[in-house]
Amino acid sequence: MTAPYGKAGAGLGAVSAVVVVLLLMPFWLTQFQLFLLVRVAILALFAMGFNLLFGYGGLLSFGHAAFYSAGAYTAGLILKAYPSLLVGVAGGVAMAALLGFGVGFFSVRHIDVYFSMLTLAFGMFVYSIVWKWDAVTGGDNGLIGVPRAPLAMIGFKHGLNMMPIERYYEFTVVLSVVVVWALYRLVRSPFGLMLQGIRENAERVEFAGVPMRRYRLAAFIISAAVAGLAGSLVGPLENTVGPDTAHWATSAEPLLAALLGGAASFGGPLVGAFLIVGIRELVERYTQYWLLAMGGVMLVLVLGFRGGVTGTVLALARRVAPGRRGGEAAR
Amino acid sequence: MAGRISRRRFIKKGLAAAGGVVALGTAIDRLGPALYAQTKPPIRIGAQGILSGPYGGYGEFGRQGGLLAVEEINHNGGILGREVEIRFRDEELKPPITVSNLRYFVQDWGADVAIGIDASNDVLAAAEVMPQLDRVLIVHHAATEKLNEIDVYQKHNQYVFRVCVPVYQDGIASALIAKDFHHVKRWATISPDYEYGYTCWKFFRQVLSHFRPDVQYVGEAWCKFNTADFAPYISKVMAQKPEGIFSTQWGGEAVAFVRQAKRFGVFQNIGAMMIGMGAAMDVLEGLGAEYPDGVWASCRYWFRYPETERNKAFVERYHKRWGHYPSYPSEMMYSCVNTAKAAMEKAHSTKTADLIAALQGMELDTPAGKRLFRAEDHQAVYPVPWGQITHDPAYPMPIIANLKVSPTTEYYRWPPFTKLFGV
Amino acid sequence: MVQNLLFQGLVGLTGAMYLWLIAAGLTLIFGVLRVLNFAHGSLYMLGAYFALSASLWMHQGFWPALAVAAVGVGVLGVLLEVVFVRPIYRLAIAYQLLLTFAFVLIFNDAVKMVWGPLYQAPPMPAGLGGSVVVLGRPYPVYNLFILLAGVVVAAALWLVFDLTPWGRAVRAAASDREMAAALGVNVPRLFSQVFGVGAGLAGLGGALTVPMQTVSPGMGENVVVDAFVVVVIGGLGNLWGAFVGALLVGLLQAYGTLFVPVFDLALAFIVMAAVLIWRPAGLFGRSG
Repeated sequence: MTAPYGKAGAGLGAVSAVVVVLLLMPFWLTQFQLFLLVRVAILALFAMGFNLLFGYGGLLSFGHAAFYSAGAYTAGLILKAYPSLLVGVAGGVAMAALLGFGVGFFSVRHIDVYFSMLTLAFGMFVYSIVWKWDAVTGGDNGLIGVPRAPLAMIGFKHGLNMMPIERYYEFTVVLSVVVVWALYRLVRSPFGLMLQGIRENAERVEFAGVPMRRYRLAAFIISAAVAGLAGSLVGPLENTVGPDTAHWATSAEPLLAALLGGAASFGGPLVGAFLIVGIRELVERYTQYWLLAMGGVMLVLVLGFRGGVTGTVLALARRVAPGRRGGEAAR
Repeated sequence: MAGRISRRRFIKKGLAAAGGVVALGTAIDRLGPALYAQTKPPIRIGAQGILSGPYGGYGEFGRQGGLLAVEEINHNGGILGREVEIRFRDEELKPPITVSNLRYFVQDWGADVAIGIDASNDVLAAAEVMPQLDRVLIVHHAATEKLNEIDVYQKHNQYVFRVCVPVYQDGIASALIAKDFHHVKRWATISPDYEYGYTCWKFFRQVLSHFRPDVQYVGEAWCKFNTADFAPYISKVMAQKPEGIFSTQWGGEAVAFVRQAKRFGVFQNIGAMMIGMGAAMDVLEGLGAEYPDGVWASCRYWFRYPETERNKAFVERYHKRWGHYPSYPSEMMYSCVNTAKAAMEKAHSTKTADLIAALQGMELDTPAGKRLFRAEDHQAVYPVPWGQITHDPAYPMPIIANLKVSPTTEYYRWPPFTKLFGV
Repeated sequence: MVQNLLFQGLVGLTGAMYLWLIAAGLTLIFGVLRVLNFAHGSLYMLGAYFALSASLWMHQGFWPALAVAAVGVGVLGVLLEVVFVRPIYRLAIAYQLLLTFAFVLIFNDAVKMVWGPLYQAPPMPAGLGGSVVVLGRPYPVYNLFILLAGVVVAAALWLVFDLTPWGRAVRAAASDREMAAALGVNVPRLFSQVFGVGAGLAGLGGALTVPMQTVSPGMGENVVVDAFVVVVIGGLGNLWGAFVGALLVGLLQAYGTLFVPVFDLALAFIVMAAVLIWRPAGLFGRSG
């Protein structure tokens, strides 16, 4: 992900190598470790979608759990009625994008902390709907018994069985790689560059006659859709979708992942997601005080390594090999 | 130059050292199982409960009961000659965490059986994954009737058993007592705003109305999750001038609720207050002298009932070990461990299928009395009393007295769960 | 009927004062330092625990416990500001959130280590535990005391910020810190003091909840979002806005429970969203 512009071929090679290694993981890892990796993938997608808005658009949404949850519930409801994995996921993404349009329409007029607070309000509004609308969402119990439905393929009578965690892991990996690749193309496209331009100097861009809000709204909707995709993968993994998916604490997770990994680099949120799931799982084996460890890591990061893990590593790399550009979207 | 050499040497040494560590690690890894094989591998029990926050008392009491049981069993030679290991994790009142804990227990740690779980939403999520994990889950506290009536009985989920009485205790046994309060005709509820609250109130009304067509229901206040200030709810309900209040607040919220209700003059102005989980030890200890006399309270095991040697011995050992009296989750977790033990010994196996067969219809002597695990819905049946709060100088906390125990045939719903007193 | 409605309103006012006590410090810190302190709820929790310890361990009465909580958390606030918050003033709001969120996590576990994971319910202070008849129904004396405490805190803040030289310096620094510095105000020290006062208010707010509620790890997180709602409705950084916002939200919650229990959870957020859409800077805020 740090490949310089001119070496797309080498980058592609490296990425394919990583994908192959990822797909071979089931040969080495236990089922529990694969389960954790699916969690990492879900959080990474959530965080990368979030970071399109945050790292590239300069807008800190504090209500992204709403889209994550909308994706999770919609996919869950569809899968319970019509067990086909892709249909469920597509439904989840569509609902999240739709909600993203509604919330984004009002929110992108605001900037800074007011944008954050308005998205927080919308997010918690969705949370209360999820909690209270018993008949559809199952209230506090949530949706129970969401199936890990088979992956229906054109030309096959029976879909691909997704019940073994190995299959679901591979499905998640493939899907994630496709989405990450699409996001990568997006941030490098004129659209992505314009988004960063707006972040850097909104007034100048607006004077130039660019419909700024429209760009922001588009970014918001795409970001919401990716969050919805991440959410729609939760039900089939856990077999349950609960109201906590919409709580503000869930909105904090992609922010943490982005900052921990490095919001200024494209791959940062992915690294951050890995760290969040990994730190917790490791620390919890030795002590119940994993929050303390997590808080400590965050503290060190804010005070010493503001670029996050990727930012710090890239800075080191630059010092070792000056002249090579690493990363992009420097904040 | 010198620096480079020393660096190279350093790397060499480092590699050698690392190699040594790896070799040693591999040796231990190889050796470890070999050593185990000579003794016997331990039996592993993965337990969880809510260990933090306003409901953290439940998990803590459960943990104490579970540990006591394991200590006793290991002291007496283990299960099938094998030592027992138990590990606790915090379910955090979050279904994904609960499920993740189960996966860790089974797929990473190698648990033979899973026990515990405090919250209803957590247990329903957990039940979904037990068939995939192929382990028995013995539930200690989560009380939703959906678990035994729907998951096990209707959907034939064979992997889940439960040692504690479900919401029948809160919603039905309570009404069998309330029907005799002839002076109380106007009932209201102040309860949690989620399914547990709604279900208990529904059961209560249906059973009570069956016996007392003259009773009216005049108010409902549903307190949102994590309520700290109950004043708006109390004020709303008291404006309707109820004569009886039925509440299923639990844990720290029950404590805050009673403290505030007291100062709104609730207890002087009504004829009866019933709190389903009001006799849990954390509530009794939390309220202490502030708990008004005469409040009707229950739980899922009361440490002074039944008055058997088995129970007295348990209470004594528990009190000696932990410095206070067992709350109901203590006995539940204790009995979960002993249920697992009994099943393994009866089956002479730790295989899941054997354990399920052994548990169905099993009868077990526990501190709470004889528990019968119904084969149809895997629900343990045993009676638990309701009683009235009183302050007895013999105990450091309030207790319940004037115990009323309904026969289980009357207040448990029985397969096929069609009707009981119209419920 | 009218009496019952008024009674519910009184209940709402008490709830509003609980909100105001925590929101005051939050909005003060934002107004002057431009720092969104997510750990404000944790400071509130620490206030409750300090008060608890003062009354249980040191056998102090209610009033000293309040003082211990307010001063203790205030001093802790100054320390936090000097060591951790000062380096991040100029950073994006995301880093402020990250830093203060780190403290939320750290304090939650620290409290668990020191005071244990269980909730605690210390006794009611003598003299405030009774009830009096208001509008024909019993009402807790303690809730009237909270009403009074809220008004006293509001009056004290008004006195300090409008009438003392220190308050004027704070207001000058809030509107233009370079100018204030040029006029000889020691801005960094002033900021530490303001952060300390804001933290102390949170500590006081937490200590005041102890006798009627329960104290447990994580209690601050539920409160801090409510406080955000109040502060945002009133206008971030505006003290009087926070007071009005607290009144609005407190009354909404009381009457919402009565009339539209279905929207119990959502009501405050609906109002918050509506206010932000209508007036992005809140009811009393200046935009920009």
